[in-house]
Amino acid sequence: MSTQPAMINRYRWYELISIYAGIFLFLTFILAPFVEGFLVSLKPLGLLFSSPYRFWPENGSFTAYRTMWVSVPGFARYIFNSFFISIIVTAMVLILVIPASYAFARFKFRGSGLLLGAFLAVTMFSGAVLLIPLFRLMRTFGLLNTYFAMIVPSVAFLIPSAIWLLRTYMMRIPRELDEAAFVDGASHFYTLRRVILPIAMPGITVVAITTFIGSYAQQFIFALTFNSKTEYMPLPVGLFAYFGRQEVIWNELMAASFVGITPAIIVIFFLQRYLVSGLTAGAVKQ
Amino acid sequence: MGQLNLNKVQKFYGTFEVLKGIELEVRNGEFVVFVGPSGCGKSTLLRMIAGLDETSSGDIMIDGKRVNDLPPVKRGIAMVFQSYALYPHMTVFENIAFPLRVEKMQEDKLKAKVENAARILHLDQRLQQKPGLLSGGQRQRVAIGRAIVREPKIFLFDEPLSNLDAALRADMRIELAKLHKQLKATMIYVTHDQIEAMTMADRIVVLNAGEISQTGAPLELYHKPANMFVAGFIGNPRMNMLPVTCKAVTDAGVEIEFKGQSATIPVAGRADLVGQPLTLGIRPEHIQFGKSDLTMNLTPTVIERLGAQTVAYASLDGESENFCAMLPGSAPIRTDETVSIGVGAADCHLFDGSGIALERRVALTDIDVGLLKIAGG
Repeated sequence: MSTQPAMINRYRWYELISIYAGIFLFLTFILAPFVEGFLVSLKPLGLLFSSPYRFWPENGSFTAYRTMWVSVPGFARYIFNSFFISIIVTAMVLILVIPASYAFARFKFRGSGLLLGAFLAVTMFSGAVLLIPLFRLMRTFGLLNTYFAMIVPSVAFLIPSAIWLLRTYMMRIPRELDEAAFVDGASHFYTLRRVILPIAMPGITVVAITTFIGSYAQQFIFALTFNSKTEYMPLPVGLFAYFGRQEVIWNELMAASFVGITPAIIVIFFLQRYLVSGLTAGAVKQ
Repeated sequence: MGQLNLNKVQKFYGTFEVLKGIELEVRNGEFVVFVGPSGCGKSTLLRMIAGLDETSSGDIMIDGKRVNDLPPVKRGIAMVFQSYALYPHMTVFENIAFPLRVEKMQEDKLKAKVENAARILHLDQRLQQKPGLLSGGQRQRVAIGRAIVREPKIFLFDEPLSNLDAALRADMRIELAKLHKQLKATMIYVTHDQIEAMTMADRIVVLNAGEISQTGAPLELYHKPANMFVAGFIGNPRMNMLPVTCKAVTDAGVEIEFKGQSATIPVAGRADLVGQPLTLGIRPEHIQFGKSDLTMNLTPTVIERLGAQTVAYASLDGESENFCAMLPGSAPIRTDETVSIGVGAADCHLFDGSGIALERRVALTDIDVGLLKIAGG
């Protein structure tokens, strides 16, 4: 009997079929580009535009994964740059956001609601709208063509959503834990470090993942406008190197895309292991 | 030392007065229980003593020193929360050691203290476990352990047992009473459960709507409630309140008239009461079968048989009023069958028009059982 699902999870056969059909439909939409991209990366360039078009590669091989390093020699550097920028952005966002969201979650102070609203309003502007003022700002501070030019705006645009995410998580941590620590003589920073931080770890992991991905996605526009040095180019801009004068090396471009996102996927894979729920079990009676 | 004095302590939330000038003295080593219905301000008062809530006006004195503006740790108090408030990511050892870690105590001294606290609370075998693996009672003991390692002057308990089931609560009550004997520390305990108050307290403080209704030993509150609120709050099932008229005040007590009967209740009366309406209080457990000083006809509507007692909710003399009677053993009563019951005049309570009790003449041995001699001893 234990193998039977709970009553609330029991479905009729046609319900099951429609659920799986729905999942399949969405997965197709999401994954089809990846599959197609991967198949393209396996094809020799000459066969890419064969007519009639064939999805399944004839004489498929992993040659593109080898030749991509030759045709764009700086590609490893671009992967490193992307990775480096995202890691620094994530670290800076976490350092700034953890104390901020603790303050928003716990302290009552004048204007806290207004500040939170302002943060939310900022996220409604995309970075693209503010590119020109940002460019002037960067030029004034002499930050153009540095890593900072890509890191600073990313941090600024990722902080608001991170604060909102982490604040909500921290509000779920029972206030009695703070009070108990306060009664025992702990300062606010001691409480944050020894009590709140370890308990908020799943929430912090979520923020770290979303920030990392967000930074990966935002790099393109900031790198394109604020940086013209080849050695600082991140992956999305670096991929343009496969756009030649005569033709686009599609198979190598696809291979490079897959290789480029691998480090990020590995990082996310490791981070998600910390997303254990139920870490607050036993803190208070619920 | 752990002497606490509250001097005209007030608390406002906006313009709403939550606590209306509380005056209280808690002597060193005393176990005092704050009891009252929800919203009476008892938890707020405890949090003010702890230093978690601001005091609007008045003085909180611990050992003669005004502590209003001191943080909890400098007041020499420790608090046990209703929800335990354990740190889920730390072991039991680290949970108990937390206050000492904050003090930056040396490791060997810290270890000795934590182990000593764990021994007192029977947690020696659990020190390396996380709170999530413990039962409710054990978690509460860890929370108490965290309070006792600091050796505070005053322990504060905020409804610590209300999350436990009934059987465990009874066990923990006994353990807390033992702990108090062992530590000889001042303890202040907030509860809404009158059984906890009656069994553990040296003194009970009954709070009602932000004011102290009465302060006294548990049996003093039971036998000599100062007003109708305390009379109704202490004792289970609640005291029955019946409207009567005062006929005369004599040396023997106050003569009352109740539905054509008259009886003299042995209480201290005042001459101006004659002719005034009064309230007669009868505890359900003082009702017996048959005739007595006051006799009534009882028609039970609902009967609860508990084995040791039978509780009848009934109408009295055909009126629809909810009257409660508790009769010993399996009483021979049935629903809708009228029986005749009586109450001794000496067991009755009498309250004047404003709800203030007229002082009963009760034997001192009833209030201070320490005066009772063991038969043949």
